[in-house]
Amino acid sequence: MSRVFHLPAGSTRSGARRAAASPSGPGPAAAPGPGPRRGGIVAGYLAPHPPHLVYAENPPQNEPRSTGGWEVLRWGYEELRRRLRAHRPDVLVVHAPHWITMVGHHVNCVPNPRGVSVEPIFPHLFRYHYDFRTDVELAEAVVEEGERAGLVTSALREEGVRVDYATIGALHLANPDWDLPVVSLSANNNPYYYSDASLGEMETLGAATRRAIERTGRRAVLLASNSLSHMHWDTEPDLPEDMAAEHPFSHEQYAGDMELLQIVREGPTSRLKDAIPRHIGATASETKAGSLTWLLAAMGWPEVAGDVLAYGTVIATGNAVVEWVAP
Amino acid sequence: MNALPAALVPAMPHLLAGDPTSSWAELATATRTVGDRLRAAGVETVLLLSTHWFTVLGHQVQCDDRLRGRRTDENWYRYDYGHLAYDVTVDTELAHRWADAIDADGMQARRTRYDGFPVDTGTVVASQLLDPRGQGRWAMVSCNLYADPSAMAAVAAAGMRAAGQLGRRLGVVAVTGLSSGLTGRWIDPGEDRVEDTHDRWNRKMLDAIRAGDREAVLAMSPQYAAAAQADSQFRAFAFLDGAGAVDRPGEVLAYGPVWGTGAAVVWWGEPTESRET
Ligand SMILES: [Fe+2]
Repeated sequence: MSRVFHLPAGSTRSGARRAAASPSGPGPAAAPGPGPRRGGIVAGYLAPHPPHLVYAENPPQNEPRSTGGWEVLRWGYEELRRRLRAHRPDVLVVHAPHWITMVGHHVNCVPNPRGVSVEPIFPHLFRYHYDFRTDVELAEAVVEEGERAGLVTSALREEGVRVDYATIGALHLANPDWDLPVVSLSANNNPYYYSDASLGEMETLGAATRRAIERTGRRAVLLASNSLSHMHWDTEPDLPEDMAAEHPFSHEQYAGDMELLQIVREGPTSRLKDAIPRHIGATASETKAGSLTWLLAAMGWPEVAGDVLAYGTVIATGNAVVEWVAP
Repeated sequence: MNALPAALVPAMPHLLAGDPTSSWAELATATRTVGDRLRAAGVETVLLLSTHWFTVLGHQVQCDDRLRGRRTDENWYRYDYGHLAYDVTVDTELAHRWADAIDADGMQARRTRYDGFPVDTGTVVASQLLDPRGQGRWAMVSCNLYADPSAMAAVAAAGMRAAGQLGRRLGVVAVTGLSSGLTGRWIDPGEDRVEDTHDRWNRKMLDAIRAGDREAVLAMSPQYAAAAQADSQFRAFAFLDGAGAVDRPGEVLAYGPVWGTGAAVVWWGEPTESRET
């Protein structure tokens, strides 16, 4: 009856093969060599955050225990972790849709956010003990640059705001050691009952983020914490990781994701300016929260292809792990 | 009182501001009035839906007997009303019966009992204003945004059946906003207003509620949701309807803006009682 649709996990080799097969196309940019470290944004990742992926991994920080599941997506994240290490960033900058701020774009400026994040929607899967460092100087620079660009912004300095699962999920899945400082940005919208993000504003926020990174001389990797197609079930199996129940919501949702990912794989990223809103219209994609647009705008819509490291569904939503290396 | 006491109250924390604008103060006072009336009606437990406890898988029923903690709101932390303490007692006997009844009706109940569970701002605000001394008991369910809005009616009906089995004197409260056109900038409270189109829609819905025309309210809800971004597609009214609470005129105790959103306090009491304006 149901089938799990996955693309094979990618690798540096598969990326190189694709680039070689289409010499006229942009192709994924090469991974960094051992030369001198430059500042700026060195790479960006589409890093979806379903709590199921953290739950399935059974890390010590998360209270619930699982028997696994969603392996292909998690293998994609293993590859992401290897590549991220090779980029040797100073900081991870994440934009996540479940820190929902109704007024403006907020940046977490708390030096050491820590606590337990019990996720109200998935409390049986995600009760995560977090403790990480913020790159406060860069966080404040993002607030300043955002304001200078005319955005409504706010610097969160209050301890005690629970860090959401989309922020923690992307950061854990990209860097489970939590040994890099973080800058965390909120999503100024409410995908559930207020409104979608203004993608135009996300372009502005992306450009402001880039200026802040350059101004502070950081070597940064960006994470866009978004799933793709976002129609999903409203119940779940008794065993959440029962993969017999896991498959796309519909053929249309799957096909919509594949159309977008084909453009990602072919590049250049500027083609995604039209493709992202079209994909949102076709699949209610979570990129409507703006994280992916923010990421690509911050990278200056580089003339490269993305490398799709994995694709899979989680409670029927489409999820892709993708790398873009700054040229 | 024989009729089921019921109310619709706002979710936004601005009602707890130390220095509220007149709209926020009127909404807060009206919500306190609803609390007085629930106590006067001898209500033992309030069946509560807060649309700001939104979920996507099944119907979560809070099964922790006491929810105590502090909530720092992720958007409003720069204001006094962004820092809320709460201490809420849950009628767990009813909560478990309710979950069983939801399952028995072919839906999926999720029994929620986790230390550190983040109680939503709407629940905190409503419980503080309705029950300032913290003496009441609550049975709470989440708002599944991926289920059809009519599912909330079935969930409420299951709650009524469960309460009937236990012989509880029950009240029903839905915590929700009306139109959701939030003002996207930091404003002085005095500038707070609902935009005209949303305001017209809110008033149209409240007029139908005043007239006791539940069928009209339900029929207009999808259009209202699209035209005024109604909070959670106005699932709150479907919930109250499923409890059988809105088949009579509702008394609109207050209506006004909260940061650009529409908010109202509506009371459904005895159908024959005299009404304030
Ligand atoms: Fe999400």
